[in-house]
Amino acid sequence: MPEFPISGYHGRVLVADLSRGEVRTLPLDPGLALDYLGGRGMATRVLYDTIDPACDPLGPDNAFVIAASPLIGSNAPTAGRGHMVFKSPLTGVLGTSNSGGTWGAAFKAAGFDVLVVKGAAATPVMIDISPGKAEILPADHVWGKTTHETNDVLAAVSEPGNPARVLCIGPAGENLVRFAAVANDRNRVYGRCGPGAVWGSKKLKAVRVRGKEKIAVADMEKYRSGLDQALYLMKQAPVTKRLLRDLGTAGLVELINLIAMLPHKNFQDCLHRDEDVERISGETLAKTLLEKAGSCYLCPIGCQRHTRVAGRDGREERGEGPEYETMVLMGPLCGIYDLGAITRANYRANELGLDTMSYGGTVACAMELAERGLIGREEAGGLDLAFGSGEALESLAVMTARREGLGAALAEGSYRLAAGRGHPEYAMTVKKLEIPAYDPRASYTQALGYMTSPSGACHLRGGYAVSLAFFGGAREIPRFSLLQSPIAIRNMQNVGILQDSLGVCRFTGYAFSSDPWARMVGGITGRDFSVARLEEIENRVATLERQFNIEAGVTAEDDVLPARFADVPIVVEGKERRVSREDQERMKQDYYRVRGWDAAGRPTPGLVRSLQIEESKR
Amino acid sequence: MSAQKWQATGELLGEFQALGRASLAYDVQDSHSGNMAVRRTTERGEDEIVITATGSQKGALEPNQICFLSATETDYGYYKASSETDIHARILELPGVRASMHAHVKDLVLATLDDEPKPARPPDFVPVDPLAFHHLGSAIPVDWFAVPSGSPELARVIPERLAGHPLTIIFGHGAMAKGRNLREAFFRLCVGNNAGTVVRAMERLRIDVGAVRRAVTADPGSSFAGAPPPYEIEGDDRSDFREEEEILKEFVKAGHRIFESRLSPFHTGSMSVRGVDSMLYAPKASMPRDVGGPLLRVALSAGPADDSETALHKAIYATSDFQTVMHCHIPEAEASAHFVYPGEAAPADRIIPVDAEGTFLYLVIPVLPPNVRTDELVRFLHDYKVAVVRGGGVWAVGGQSLSEVLHHPSSVREICLYRIGAVERGLDLRRLEPQKAKRW
Repeated sequence: MPEFPISGYHGRVLVADLSRGEVRTLPLDPGLALDYLGGRGMATRVLYDTIDPACDPLGPDNAFVIAASPLIGSNAPTAGRGHMVFKSPLTGVLGTSNSGGTWGAAFKAAGFDVLVVKGAAATPVMIDISPGKAEILPADHVWGKTTHETNDVLAAVSEPGNPARVLCIGPAGENLVRFAAVANDRNRVYGRCGPGAVWGSKKLKAVRVRGKEKIAVADMEKYRSGLDQALYLMKQAPVTKRLLRDLGTAGLVELINLIAMLPHKNFQDCLHRDEDVERISGETLAKTLLEKAGSCYLCPIGCQRHTRVAGRDGREERGEGPEYETMVLMGPLCGIYDLGAITRANYRANELGLDTMSYGGTVACAMELAERGLIGREEAGGLDLAFGSGEALESLAVMTARREGLGAALAEGSYRLAAGRGHPEYAMTVKKLEIPAYDPRASYTQALGYMTSPSGACHLRGGYAVSLAFFGGAREIPRFSLLQSPIAIRNMQNVGILQDSLGVCRFTGYAFSSDPWARMVGGITGRDFSVARLEEIENRVATLERQFNIEAGVTAEDDVLPARFADVPIVVEGKERRVSREDQERMKQDYYRVRGWDAAGRPTPGLVRSLQIEESKR
Repeated sequence: MSAQKWQATGELLGEFQALGRASLAYDVQDSHSGNMAVRRTTERGEDEIVITATGSQKGALEPNQICFLSATETDYGYYKASSETDIHARILELPGVRASMHAHVKDLVLATLDDEPKPARPPDFVPVDPLAFHHLGSAIPVDWFAVPSGSPELARVIPERLAGHPLTIIFGHGAMAKGRNLREAFFRLCVGNNAGTVVRAMERLRIDVGAVRRAVTADPGSSFAGAPPPYEIEGDDRSDFREEEEILKEFVKAGHRIFESRLSPFHTGSMSVRGVDSMLYAPKASMPRDVGGPLLRVALSAGPADDSETALHKAIYATSDFQTVMHCHIPEAEASAHFVYPGEAAPADRIIPVDAEGTFLYLVIPVLPPNVRTDELVRFLHDYKVAVVRGGGVWAVGGQSLSEVLHHPSSVREICLYRIGAVERGLDLRRLEPQKAKRW
């Protein structure tokens, strides 16, 4: 294969067709690198060229794509993340999920830029990748095992200086739980949108990678100038230098409560007793369960929480977390403030391969349905489903992953759970994806982010507005501005696209925006990746994602919040706040316009042309 | 004499107090210096002069320190009114003049000092910055007086000068300005002082000010980036977006900071936050506390009535994703834009920070020529977020908030101050600058 003309890339795409049982290496199109950069952008383009967006997400016609970026393989801070895209079995729209850990960097070191997996195997398989070699192997010996067990078995081939890194599913993925996750490094997960179910439908248990291939840097001085600036600003910003290391993401619990944004009981309100919140705060976690902080690949922040907790049988268990989202969605959203119960449920979810966010949202939905008499105790297998039941939270994780009893209904996610009982209004989802742990009534910008996120209600793909509402520093934005929200969230979403396409952590955004990245990626590639060019790529990716979703059947009617957020106010700083249907419509239409989409939310042909988005090559 | 005659209340008192405080905040007075006067028509249709009391602290004016004088009824206030009352009275007789103000504009005074034997008339002051050039004229008179305060000589000469100029300089003392209202007079004094600051900064940077002046005089069109909009005296209370409470608060905060931190003289500069169809726009961005300025909602589409400032905000938004834009006239940046490294012939095309914070926040600040095309400016703003236009002020953009965009001009001023100070101390900027920045 000829040498790739752009530094930072290997120029190789690995395509595995599980139906045929064959693996091929194809050359990477340089245009793809220049127009879509890598990570999320490149993976989305490749997926769009590979599958029909209207396909059955659990059928063999679906595929998943993982792409690295030119930064991965350098020493840029946090540049080791992977990004996976697929059609989501939970939402029916674009599934797009991101993970830290070490797998992303290891994949790049194995000598590839992109992995495409399509088709479906008849029996459990895994893909084994190392420089110059990739093969599909049987995986019966790990089928049925947890993510931890699978990781440990498959990583045993590691050699000193050449570790094997494993990406795998657990029982939840095997059982096609619609919000099943894919894990690496035991507890780092591609959680959102159900990638684990896509893997399960393909009978793919794991992808193992090894390698030491390096990348070249075209202009070291330019690269270093961006790197120096990035590191300086990360050491300076309180969130990146202190908060996340000291308290983990759970350090947000108290702070989000302070701004009246901490959801409670399936988003019925944001009212908590201070002493309850303190029981699940990052401070309490640090004082009680924390063993040590940890870091993903090349991350100077170190937000990982390595913890231990007394098991229900009294024996000590060790694991990671809970992270903020898990803490709140498995905690107060379910009326639970028991740190031990949340932590144990978090451990179970990671082992079984469940997205803790959707799982928490689904349990909260089940608890409200039970409260309203729509799920009986008998159906719950005798479990007490009242809000506040830590036992139910822990038990249901296993039942859901195994699709046992009520768990089979929960495995479908909260929308199908509630709709199946005739009350979809109790599912707190957008496009069937469970809403993260920030109440949208407390920030119009965050509300609009949930509405317009390409993957459904996701704070990371929809724009992490809350980060600017509290920790924005100089970039702090108004929380209740109808005028500013559409552009603010578009810009935040675009920064997210850039970070996901570079394979870097969202938390770097607390310290700096695009400028240092532009210099780093420009230095590595030796190409003009100015901020303006990066913005063009961001807009191209956002519109391509929308195009995928339009072809998957999304309409403007899907870009709305659940009725509760329009009808039931919460109180923020003494004022009743809701996001009325009129305000939603106004912000949504304004958002479409700043994106260049028509009133139905469809990218216009002129925009598609100006962004040079080619038609799908499938 | 009636009691209320010298017990000013309400709006008039508020205006005197606010501008008095502002003049102290802008450091164009000492604790007791300066004076302000307005001419107004009483309810009985008579002309009346209202003027600050002599020796009053302009930063803390009391109601009884506002003196009322009329042609038909001189009250107690006459005997405590400013020692410059006679001068103000004659200025206020000029056609169209309703206000006058005297201030100790120290940078302008310093920039016009000379050590030539006196008596002699010093040369006119030739501004080299766009604000003063366009608002105060290409040559500002300077007069030496044997008794440079309250003298009959002043009362004769100053009004003569102001008949033909918005502002005139009293050698070694300060300046007097006229206006259609008090704000305009203060505006002119601030712009005048800013012009002095620019020249002083150039001198500290060892720039050949004479050469710059010759170039400006020979071809002002090539030296400045177009004329700023004329000063409007109406509409300062207008607020088109009161319902956007949070944004309104941000505008007020940013406006105060621009003024108090001397990022742009009083009621100059502009800032905006963009919506989908419209932008929220402050055309007088530099706003002291209690003074304010218009806060407008303006359509984003270009219109034939747009002034150059408004048009540039719209043009930046039309070709970018930026959420906020700010334009300031930072005197230290204007001066730095003319800096020529020893041994070189032309001004540098970048300002390279030499301080720690500046070095990490900005590798370089681009300096663009006065006639830079809008698309070029936008391209630089994309890459650098802030750019200095020689003869055109500092433009900055933000992706999210006004606070974010404010940080850029504020940082640029600091960066320039460090460089100016370094040159003043005889340090070699080339040795202080990071190597990598020189090649960018």
